[in-house]
Amino acid sequence: MSLKSYSRQRAIHVMLVYTGGCNGCDIEIVNAVLSPKIDIEQYKVFLTWNPREADILVVTGPVTYHNKEPLLKIYNDIPDPKLVIAAGSCALMGGVYKNIHGDIPSEEIEGPVDNIIPVDAKVPGCAVRPQDILAGLVSVLPKLLNAD
Amino acid sequence: MIEEKIPNPNGELIETEISMGTVHPAALEPYRVRFFVEDEIIQEAEITIGVNHRGVERIMEGLPVEKANALTEKICGICSNSHTWNSVLTAEKGLNIDIPNRANYIRVIMGELERLHSHLLYLAHGSEVLGHETFSMRIFYIRETVMDLLDMIGGNRVQYGVSIIGGVRPRCELNEMRILKIETGLDQLESDITKFAERFKADPIVNSRIDGVGYLPPKQARKLAVTGPSLRACGFDYDIRTEMPQYDDFDFEVISLDTCDVKANLLMRVLESFESIKIIRQAIKNLPKGPIADRTWEMIDCDIIQSYIEVPRGICYHSYALENGRIRGSVIRTPSMSNIAAMQYAAIGNHITDGQLCIVQCDPCFTCTDRAFEIIEL
Repeated sequence: MSLKSYSRQRAIHVMLVYTGGCNGCDIEIVNAVLSPKIDIEQYKVFLTWNPREADILVVTGPVTYHNKEPLLKIYNDIPDPKLVIAAGSCALMGGVYKNIHGDIPSEEIEGPVDNIIPVDAKVPGCAVRPQDILAGLVSVLPKLLNAD
Repeated sequence: MIEEKIPNPNGELIETEISMGTVHPAALEPYRVRFFVEDEIIQEAEITIGVNHRGVERIMEGLPVEKANALTEKICGICSNSHTWNSVLTAEKGLNIDIPNRANYIRVIMGELERLHSHLLYLAHGSEVLGHETFSMRIFYIRETVMDLLDMIGGNRVQYGVSIIGGVRPRCELNEMRILKIETGLDQLESDITKFAERFKADPIVNSRIDGVGYLPPKQARKLAVTGPSLRACGFDYDIRTEMPQYDDFDFEVISLDTCDVKANLLMRVLESFESIKIIRQAIKNLPKGPIADRTWEMIDCDIIQSYIEVPRGICYHSYALENGRIRGSVIRTPSMSNIAAMQYAAIGNHITDGQLCIVQCDPCFTCTDRAFEIIEL
C-alpha cells in the first residue's frame, strides 16, 4: 500500500448532493454519518460540504431540470480520484417521479444520475437504509485507495 | 457576494446583498435565499424555491386513486405518512367510507410517532444551525428510538405506507408484542426528552444565542397565515387536531407560547413531543378490537373533495375529484408554503449570522413545498 492510499484511508470525505428527491434519503444519509447509532465517522468517513475536499460524491434524488447544472458543476470541482455513489431508487432509475404517471409524464426529471455523471456504486432503497449506505461506501473503497 | 439594489420600504436603496444557494453547505435542501444587509443587520430577506419541482400533481392526474395515494407519500420524506393519510381521508370523504375504529387508532399512533420524529429532527437541525453539535447528536440518538418504532410498525424507516382506502395495511396490525415495544419505547423517549429539555433550558450559552432572536410579531403571524407550531409559538392556540374527528377520543392540550422567538419555537417542539407521547399512550391503552380494514367500498364518481389535517409542520391540504376511479385536478398545499413568508419576516432586524437560524425556526421543508402554482389576475 502506497503512502498516499494509506493516508487517504484515514480521511475519506463524502459529499452529499441532493437533486430533488423527497428528502428521506438525505436525512437517512446525514443520520448515518452523524448520528451516534450508525456513526460512519468512526470508520474515518466524514461528511463535507466542500466539493474541493471531497473524495466520494453521494447523489440522491432524480435530478430535476434545475439541478442538472449544479450537479455537473459540483462533479467537475471534485479533484481526482473521485467516485460517485447513487443512493436511493430515484437516483438509480428516476423513482416514482419518472416511472409512474397518469395522463401526462413529468417533464422535469432529467435523471437518473447515470444519464449525467458516471456512477461507481448504486445503493438501492426507498429510502436507503443507513446500513446499506455503509455497505455501498465500503464496496467502492478499493477503487479509491488503489487509484494514483 | 453579489451587489444589487432593491428598494426598501423607506424608498432608500440597500446596496449589499448576501445570497446563498441554490446548493449551499448551510442548507440541506436546495433553495435560494438573499439577505439584503446594512451593517450586518438584515433589512430584507427573500427566499426563492422551485429547484425541486417534480410535478407530483401533474403525474397524479389520471392515475388510479390507490396508486396516487401511494405516490403522495413520495412528496416528502419527513411527513410522508401525513400525506398518505390526508390523501386517503380525501378519498374516504368522497366515497363515504367509514373506517374501523381500530384502523383509525393505528393511523393516529403513526401520525403522532411521525410528529415525534419530525419534531426531534427539527430540534437536531436547529441545534446544529445554532452551532451546538453535541445537542444535535444527542437528539439524533434519541430520535433513533422513534425510528425503530416506525420501522417496526411500517416496515421501513422513512416511507411507511400505512394508510390505504378503508383502513390500514395488514402488516401494520398491532399485536401484544408490538404494543409492549411501543410502551417501553415511549417510556425511554419521555425520560430522554425530559433530560434533554432540562439540560437545554439550563444552558446559558445556548439561551443567549436564541433568546429574542427571530422575533415574529403575533399580528404579522396572523396576517401571513402562518400555520402549525410556528403559529402556536406566537401565542395562538390554534390546532386543527381539536376539530378533526379522528382525534375525538383523545385528550390532549394545545400548547402555545408567547415569546415568538427561536427559543419559543424550540421549546414548543419539546412540549408538543410530550403531548404526542400522551396521545399514543391513550391510543394503545384503549385500542379497540376488530378488523383493521374495510374493503367493501365501491368506487363512485365524485366532485372536488377537500381535506385538511394537522401535520407536524402545520396544516396540510389535499383536494381532488374522482372520475372512473381516477384522480382529476389534484391540489396539494403543504404547511411550509405559508411559513416561507414568516421565515423572511423573522429574519429582518437580526444579525446576518442568525439569518439561517431564523429560517430554520419555521421548520422549512422546501421539498414538499415545491408545487407548481400560477397566480392569475382576475
